[in-house]
Amino acid sequence: MASHYEAPIRRPLVRGEKSYHDVSVDIARPVEGKANKEWWIVFSLALLAFLWGIGCIVYTISTGIGVWGLNKTVGWAWDITNFVWWVGIGHAGTLISAVLLIFRQKWRMAINRSAEAMTIFSVIQAGLFPIIHMGRPWLAYWVLPIPNQFGSLWVNFNSPLLWDVFAISTYLSVSLVFWWTGLLPDFAMIRDRAVRPFQKKIYSLLSFGWSGRAKDWQRFEEVSLVLAGLATPLVLSVHTIVSFDFATSVIPGWHTTIFPPYFVAGAIFSGFAMVNTLLIIMRKVCNLEDYITVQHIELMNIVIMITGSIVGVAYITELFIAWYSGVEYEQYAFLNRATGPYAWAYWMMMSCNVFSPQFMWFKRLRTSIMFSFFISIVVNVGMWFERFVIIVTSLHRDYLPSSWTMFSPTFVEIGIFIGTIGFFFVLFLLYARTFPVIAQAEVKTILKSSGEKYKKLRDSGESLVGTGADKRTSKISIKTNK
Amino acid sequence: MSSNKNKKYWKNLADLNPLNNSALESLEQKEFIEEIPVDEFLGDKESLSNSSTTRRDFLKFVGFSTAAASLAACEGPVIKSIPYVVQPEEIIPGIANYYATTIGNGYDFANVLIKTREGRPIKVEKNKLAPLSASANARVQASVLDLYDSFRLAKPYKNQVESSWTEFDNDTNKKLNSLKNSSKSIVLLTQTFASPSTYKLISEFKKNYSNAKHVVYDAISESAALDAYEAKYGTRGLSNYDFSKSDLIVSIGADILGDWQGGGFDSNYAKSRIPTKGKMSRHIHFEANMSLTGANADNRYPVNQNDQKLVLLSIYTKLFKSGSDLNLSDRLNKVVDSLFNELLESKNPVVVSGIQEIEYQSLVLEINQKLNSKAFQPNKIILTRQGNDNDVESLIKDMINGKVGAIIMSGVNPVYTLPNSDSFIEGLKNTGLSVLFSMKNDETAQHVNYLAAAPHYLESWGDVEMTQGEYSITQPTIRPIFDTKQFQDLLLLWNNSSVTYHDYLKSNWEKNILNDKTWNQALHDGVFENKKSIRSRASYINSKNNFSASITSLANSITKNPENTFELNLYSKTGMGDGQCANNPWLQEFPDPITRATWDNYLTVSEADAKKLNLYLEASTFFTESKNGADGGLNGKYAIISLDGTDIKVPVMIQPGQAQGTVGLSLGYGRNRGVKEVMMTGVNGYKFFKNFKSVQSIKIIATDEIHEFACVQLHNTLMGRGDVIKETNLEIFNTKGSNVWNAAAVVSLNHEETPVSSPSVDLWDEFDRSIGHHFNLSIDLNACTGCGACVIACHAENNVPVVGKGEIRKSRDMHWLRIDRYYSSEDSFENDDLKKDNISGLGSSLSSFKEMENPAENPQVAFQPIMCQHCNHAPCETVCPVAATTHGRQGQNQMTYNRCVGTRYCANNCPYKVRRFNWFLYNENDEFDYHMNDDLGRMVLNPDVTVRSRGVMEKCSFCIQATQSVILKAKLEGREVKEGEFNDKVACAAACSSGAMKFGDINEKDSEIYRLKEDDRAYHLLDTVGTKPNVVYQVKVRNNKNS
Repeated sequence: MASHYEAPIRRPLVRGEKSYHDVSVDIARPVEGKANKEWWIVFSLALLAFLWGIGCIVYTISTGIGVWGLNKTVGWAWDITNFVWWVGIGHAGTLISAVLLIFRQKWRMAINRSAEAMTIFSVIQAGLFPIIHMGRPWLAYWVLPIPNQFGSLWVNFNSPLLWDVFAISTYLSVSLVFWWTGLLPDFAMIRDRAVRPFQKKIYSLLSFGWSGRAKDWQRFEEVSLVLAGLATPLVLSVHTIVSFDFATSVIPGWHTTIFPPYFVAGAIFSGFAMVNTLLIIMRKVCNLEDYITVQHIELMNIVIMITGSIVGVAYITELFIAWYSGVEYEQYAFLNRATGPYAWAYWMMMSCNVFSPQFMWFKRLRTSIMFSFFISIVVNVGMWFERFVIIVTSLHRDYLPSSWTMFSPTFVEIGIFIGTIGFFFVLFLLYARTFPVIAQAEVKTILKSSGEKYKKLRDSGESLVGTGADKRTSKISIKTNK
Repeated sequence: MSSNKNKKYWKNLADLNPLNNSALESLEQKEFIEEIPVDEFLGDKESLSNSSTTRRDFLKFVGFSTAAASLAACEGPVIKSIPYVVQPEEIIPGIANYYATTIGNGYDFANVLIKTREGRPIKVEKNKLAPLSASANARVQASVLDLYDSFRLAKPYKNQVESSWTEFDNDTNKKLNSLKNSSKSIVLLTQTFASPSTYKLISEFKKNYSNAKHVVYDAISESAALDAYEAKYGTRGLSNYDFSKSDLIVSIGADILGDWQGGGFDSNYAKSRIPTKGKMSRHIHFEANMSLTGANADNRYPVNQNDQKLVLLSIYTKLFKSGSDLNLSDRLNKVVDSLFNELLESKNPVVVSGIQEIEYQSLVLEINQKLNSKAFQPNKIILTRQGNDNDVESLIKDMINGKVGAIIMSGVNPVYTLPNSDSFIEGLKNTGLSVLFSMKNDETAQHVNYLAAAPHYLESWGDVEMTQGEYSITQPTIRPIFDTKQFQDLLLLWNNSSVTYHDYLKSNWEKNILNDKTWNQALHDGVFENKKSIRSRASYINSKNNFSASITSLANSITKNPENTFELNLYSKTGMGDGQCANNPWLQEFPDPITRATWDNYLTVSEADAKKLNLYLEASTFFTESKNGADGGLNGKYAIISLDGTDIKVPVMIQPGQAQGTVGLSLGYGRNRGVKEVMMTGVNGYKFFKNFKSVQSIKIIATDEIHEFACVQLHNTLMGRGDVIKETNLEIFNTKGSNVWNAAAVVSLNHEETPVSSPSVDLWDEFDRSIGHHFNLSIDLNACTGCGACVIACHAENNVPVVGKGEIRKSRDMHWLRIDRYYSSEDSFENDDLKKDNISGLGSSLSSFKEMENPAENPQVAFQPIMCQHCNHAPCETVCPVAATTHGRQGQNQMTYNRCVGTRYCANNCPYKVRRFNWFLYNENDEFDYHMNDDLGRMVLNPDVTVRSRGVMEKCSFCIQATQSVILKAKLEGREVKEGEFNDKVACAAACSSGAMKFGDINEKDSEIYRLKEDDRAYHLLDTVGTKPNVVYQVKVRNNKNS
């Protein structure tokens, strides 16, 4: 348990005069209350997009991959771009909850729940693409090493696509377990507050019988730490393995040893941007400004700035190495990226990913909510283009000029992409209405050290004894300052 | 019926007399005669409860068996196959039979071997006994599909109404008899048959009907050359040229690798192009369009026909020293001077021309006679073109004037191919009886009284004499699918003969052709040579120079093209020929070797002219009006071309190498009857084939409309990637070591240059590949002319689907084998490489690479057939997650369609981009209404090769079904595979008549393939990637001199 002392110079992580009860009430409010009109509008839009996406997927599966814009030269485009994009977005959650937990970054507590939810929902979107991009998705289970009756058929362990299967499924399951573990005390809190029997029943199921005993808490902490230890390498491994899809190939522009760190940095970059996008809206809609403060946004902006710069360095390194290698195919691949027919995509990527985060050097800009939101969208767009550039511009002009061609998407591919965005928001909006969106149990642990109310009390030299008690539940009268 | 009312039916005796029969009564009370032992098995409660089968289990079993029984009763739709009741002796299911036969459709003549399976002809193969000049080109390779054309006529028609042969026979016989002694003539308007038996029949017909005339009509006429030859040597035929014997080929507008003078010269040409003992032929070419021939030439000069004429005239004047100054440009003068010197230095130079004027064709004969090259063989008369333009013209006049009583047509489609088809239609109306033998309800068929359903050549009997003394037989390889009769059968009927054509043919051969050979032997071989009638070459060569026209007047008669007009050069495309095979989806989808466009014809215009005429589209990716669509598809502007009141809107294709001031348009497209709607592609160039001249002077007006082409290759230059097509020139090849012109790729290992093929730089452990068979394919870039016969052969052998224009435009062609065509961006590929090597700095690389994307005005051209390279270290194999593509023990990279889940990772990772994905279901799908969508069309499918379903990857398999059948055959016969048994077993190598492709087992150390693999010229494509392919290319050697 964290010490209650925190340097006065540190800004409070929980603003407002919040008591423990206030925290419970604030977090439980969206779950217990009724959805407002805006929620329904956004949800309907997301659902519509989702249904449209399902339609496009059904059309693809029933007719053939030909309904997309792919061709003999460009065998992957939006499908794998979307896959890598969603996997990348899925990176922030684990990084925030696992890596920051290990580094004892307490500011993560306000955002880790939603970041993890985002991770899981986006990995679900990501997982969709490797399946539907197959020519015969009904045989997708063949990529699993399961005993079979087909003879001695086994999967090909040389294939990075197979490694993807393991990487993504491991990541999804570990993330899910980690997320759920953190959710247990919070579900229990909602269960305990629930008045309607049905709600109570559901939340008691979800909370796995959490009782709040000291042993529960002890195990909770231990499991969290173990899972954080498990998840931390995953943060690095998942996108490393995704990058192997390209790095182990022989295509100029794909065959690049810098890909693993470059992809991981890019993933964190895009993940944090997406967290920013979501939380800037959520803190407003769910009245969580006191928990997800400008300081949180600022910290995330700094991460975005740093990872964006790492990505920028990677881009430039790629160009340098292409020139330095002396391999003409390699050189042309990168020249073509920057100046060929898809140069617009390349410069879109460059400006969104490398230039735009540099604004975050200015405190005024990185603490501006509107600007942060804007940049987070820009980064998301840029990171989509990064994958598009890697995949399409490398493929469309490779070794033999006779096969060079262009790629142009059809409404179906675009529809599927929009559909996954819809699906993602359907899940996220449902989550926002039914799950405790902030890890309140964890926030409560830092309330006395980092809550504004207690910080002020301590700064004014007062004792904190008894200050945590709620006047409605406790007979101890609270000592007031005056 | 009332009496029946009380009738009683009895079942047994007791029933008849029912009185006092208590036994019966008691029996009638019972439902079952015998007691049902219910108590026995339900009474004993104890044993019941001990039973292992509970009531629940019992119900489960009942439920399961009911469900199973009903499931088993559900069956898919049953398509009945009928087994052979009496199995023909020679047909063994699963084993192919081969029959030698001959195609002679008036345009294409070839000796072929037909592969049949279970009685179905499925593929055209090479008849190794036949002369090289009679090899099958791409169209002949595809002709087997025409047999299964769903648009074929199944019955004769009378005035567009279905009729019967009895009616047809009676009617035509009656009408012809009534015309017997009339003043009106009976005209047989036919293709060139070159068939001794048919010509005999026709002469008998003429005897029978004294007013009968025979008019031979070639849609694409060689009349001028025929006239010239006839004038000089007295026979209506064409001189033969054996280019394999020539060391200098000068072609002035002669598409000798195409259909020039009957075609079939390419195989011998290719022979002379392979450098042996430091020598190869040299080919200098003058032409307006960029033809396949020009693309193969060592030096090519794009000039219009006027200049071509001047070049020919000046060669003549120089050679015969009949000197008079000709009005040649300085540049051409220089070219002709050095050309003339070369002519004198060469041992066997030959000059050929495609100028369709009798004077110039006569000039060519005189020049060649003087040059006296071994390649010039006027004694081996080519008979495959017999058409006479004047006869056709006067026939039309006679028809309009009502002088023709009956016209019987066979193998022609004049309403489509005549520029003045309206007059022909009018003439048909004035002709009492018009009969057409046709396989389709085509353009002409619409206007005739009697339409006779003709059989395909694979269902017919016949004979062909392609060159004098070289006879061949056409024999049916399948019983006629439809109720068809061939022209000759009807001729026999009209001649009141009762024999069948087969008997007629046989007796004619036995009497007049076969000397000592038996008919059966000739039929088996398909070819037969009888040189008795051939005069010696000397008797021709020594004939007098009877060229009488004055050179000066000829030169003066060359008129400049009028202002604002362009010289239109009509040509025939490799894929479409004269257009009779327009309903053949293989040929529609066959990429033109030069433009690589499919499903289209177009006006080829030089870039400079296009810019002048506002027909040029700039390259950009954002707007559809640009050169390429967003998906890369090539766009072209429409132009309206006009000549004497004929206007056609035609899309424009920018053609590098097109002579300025000239444009090209291919014949054979724009069919509108008797072909499926999707096959009605392009525009009809015959509308401009006025006076049977392929060169016309036309006006061009640009429009703003955009045409969408379907090109399989969108990038035309090699970008200075000299290691893709390695080439050198003969001088360097002869004087320097192979490390100069065929340097092996090296990588740095511990700062030492190590060949990429060395095991020390290999990531993988090498297998021992010396045991068993190991297949290699060698492709000689010198011998490959780009003719594309292999492309169609591969299509036919491997059931490659046809996907249609829209899909091709999206770069989704399914060809397992493609022939890449590159233009140089500088004036030669060598200079492209130099330009790339001289790039320094970013600015220079940006501008240089941009420039290198555009072909030169008169580029060098290179062809490169590409199929799966069957890499020993295949990048596709490592990335497949389900191991659907793996390596075979014999070197093949194998694709297991059943296992493929369709991730396309393998295709992405293929450096050669040879893998093809089934984007849709291409068979039995109305969206792809080609031959695989109807039962008849599917008969052509090769039963040894799976028809791929959608969602799986496919690619060249090295025809594993063919190599495997060799192994199986040896196994059945209990022996080892014989040396050379695998040679050229794959469809592409088997179809290659130029000897460019050789296939075999490299573990046979004496084999040709082993020698080729070890040859100095051998290289692997993209060897730097380290894929170790099993396809080897032979460095292209050009015999060009700087001029």
